Amino acid sequence: MMFGMRLHPPTGVSDSLIEYGLRSIAIAGVFVLLALLWSMFLQHFIAYPFVFLFFGAVMGSAWFGGTIAGFLSVIMSAAVIAFFFVPPVYSIEVNATSRTYYIAFIVAASVMSWVSSARKRSETAIREARDRLEERVLERTAEIERAHLDYVESERRLRLVTEAIPQQIWTAKTDGKVEYCNQHLLNFLGCSAEEIRERDFISVLHPDDQDAFQEAWAQAINSSKPYEGEWRVRGASGQYRWFLVRSIPQISADGSIACWYGTHIDVEERRRVEQALLEAQLELSHISRTLSMGELTAFIAHELNQPLTAVLTNAYACRRWLGAEPLNLDRAVFTADQIIEETTRAGAIVARVRALFQRGEHVREEVNINHEVQKLVGRLRDEAIRRGVVIRTKLARNLPRVAVDAVQIQQVIFNLAINGIDAMADVTGTRELCISTERADGGNVLVTVEDKGTGLDPEAVDKVFQPFFTTKQEGVGLGLTISRTIIEAHKGHIWAAASAAGGTAIRFTIPASP
Amino acid sequence: MSTDENTGAEIVYVVDDDQAIRTGVCNLLDSVGLRSMPFGSSEEFLTQWSNEAPGCLVLDVRLPGLTGIEFQEKLLNSGIYIPIIFMTAHGDIPTVKTAMKAGAIEFLTKPFQEEELLIAIRKAFSVDRARRQQAALERSVKTRFTLLRPREREIFDLVTAGLPNKEIADTLGLSIATVKLHRGHVMEKMRANSLAELVRMADSLKGLEKHHSSGKS
Repeated sequence: MMFGMRLHPPTGVSDSLIEYGLRSIAIAGVFVLLALLWSMFLQHFIAYPFVFLFFGAVMGSAWFGGTIAGFLSVIMSAAVIAFFFVPPVYSIEVNATSRTYYIAFIVAASVMSWVSSARKRSETAIREARDRLEERVLERTAEIERAHLDYVESERRLRLVTEAIPQQIWTAKTDGKVEYCNQHLLNFLGCSAEEIRERDFISVLHPDDQDAFQEAWAQAINSSKPYEGEWRVRGASGQYRWFLVRSIPQISADGSIACWYGTHIDVEERRRVEQALLEAQLELSHISRTLSMGELTAFIAHELNQPLTAVLTNAYACRRWLGAEPLNLDRAVFTADQIIEETTRAGAIVARVRALFQRGEHVREEVNINHEVQKLVGRLRDEAIRRGVVIRTKLARNLPRVAVDAVQIQQVIFNLAINGIDAMADVTGTRELCISTERADGGNVLVTVEDKGTGLDPEAVDKVFQPFFTTKQEGVGLGLTISRTIIEAHKGHIWAAASAAGGTAIRFTIPASP
Repeated sequence: MSTDENTGAEIVYVVDDDQAIRTGVCNLLDSVGLRSMPFGSSEEFLTQWSNEAPGCLVLDVRLPGLTGIEFQEKLLNSGIYIPIIFMTAHGDIPTVKTAMKAGAIEFLTKPFQEEELLIAIRKAFSVDRARRQQAALERSVKTRFTLLRPREREIFDLVTAGLPNKEIADTLGLSIATVKLHRGHVMEKMRANSLAELVRMADSLKGLEKHHSSGKS
């Protein structure tokens, strides 16, 4: 149908206005012409058939052409009817008898045209509204899809990021159950993402660490604050590794905790190094404190005989490689290298043993004694926990800096701390070791290591620093002697006194650096 | 001094937790043409060692885990009779005594001279060889013994118990001629040239039954 095309109302542009006008004229003309031809044809059979077909032409023009076309077709129809059908025929004149009838036709046709075009307009408006709505729906759907894709993509990216980080990462609900975690954590624990949601973190913690974790966790929940701690976590192999566990809560608008974000950093290596350091120090301290002179000599002899044996066997081998037929220079050089290495090792052992008893000059550095105490307390933590001792520190602020050999001073505090811990071995109540620093007269720094042990006899107080004096069954009494040697080399003093708390207090001073 | 006699299949297993010492000892053994294998611990040694290869063990007394002395005991209990030479940086008398009583070849105090080590190794090899020969002999006697028929075994037992033919015949209800015939078969199957040799075989069989003694003769 050629008139089925959708006609848009004029948009105010003159070209389209003209186009609209022309189209209206064409539509009205065609309809009226059709009505005229049909009426001409039909009037051979029916009397007065003309009017009805022209109504049809007006309706059609208004419907397909709009208001203007309807109006035009009314005018054209009126003219055509007046000319062809209303007597006098073939004249534009309308006689008096037909005038009423003719006017009635024009009025009816006008109303019909108006109704038809109005009807058409509202229908078009509805259709357009529907189309616009459809368009909007499509747009919105595409938008939502895009947003969803963006979301999926950003989540994928986030996931990739969490996988790229070598640490274990998780988020957990308020009850501590894991919601999401990266593959590293799953791999370490050896479980699937589903299994981990059912697990309590505490079940994979080392039994000795569970109390400390519970405490930190409870405190974090109460205060809505991040928590952090180092605990041993059991891996898939059944072996425990040390982890630095850190978690921060996400606080929702009402102030409650929404969820937890956490990371586990593997600190096994660091702990191992720290432990090895502590053990080395314990061993040294142990040697000086508990071995008899004979045993001490045997220890040194053993330590030295090891590299000496390697040197001697290699020296023999070297002589043989050099005397071999044919001469084996490569092996001889390799062997000589071994000899050099082992001789160096022997030298280092001698230096270490000497350092243990040395009173000579050392490299001095200016330090804040509080830092040295804190470092040592950190390293003693495990040992203290193992022996059920709480270490407290009371560190004065604004202490003058002191020029010391930090390693030696740590050795002194270490010796005193271990002595204090030993002294409380039989104590059933609180085992508390207090290390305090304060400013003493003359700008000196005073360090006190105080235990709540059994205390010293009054006459013992004067003797504790003498070599080979000991109150311990397996002690030799060199720990305090060495400590005194070190402190005096630092131009300080060290003395023992009964502690107000019932135990023993060992104090030493170090002059402030000038 | 020639050490060519020792360049056979023997292996010296060197166990010391001090890497420098095992490298040094193996280097020295290498330079005199002895095969050696270094190990950092007794467990490591056990995974590599094979009873097939003759040789000896040079073992440090102070080791991580089991001490050298405890390891020696463990070896004896599990029927491993490899000769052991101990090394120690400080040999106290009781330890030396325990080790020597349990069959140690030598107790070297670190640092030791090469001659001390090489003599000990040579001694250990000869002890190992003798023990292996003895064991091989015992095995072949045992194999031959299994070839004897029940009647011949009875005769074997009685002959080696020192009974004359007549008494054997009476005990078993046989004629002297039959006993002589069986006795001839026994001597032949056991490849014994004399009665004395047969008695020695009987002794070693009894020894096998009771307890597999160490290679020391």
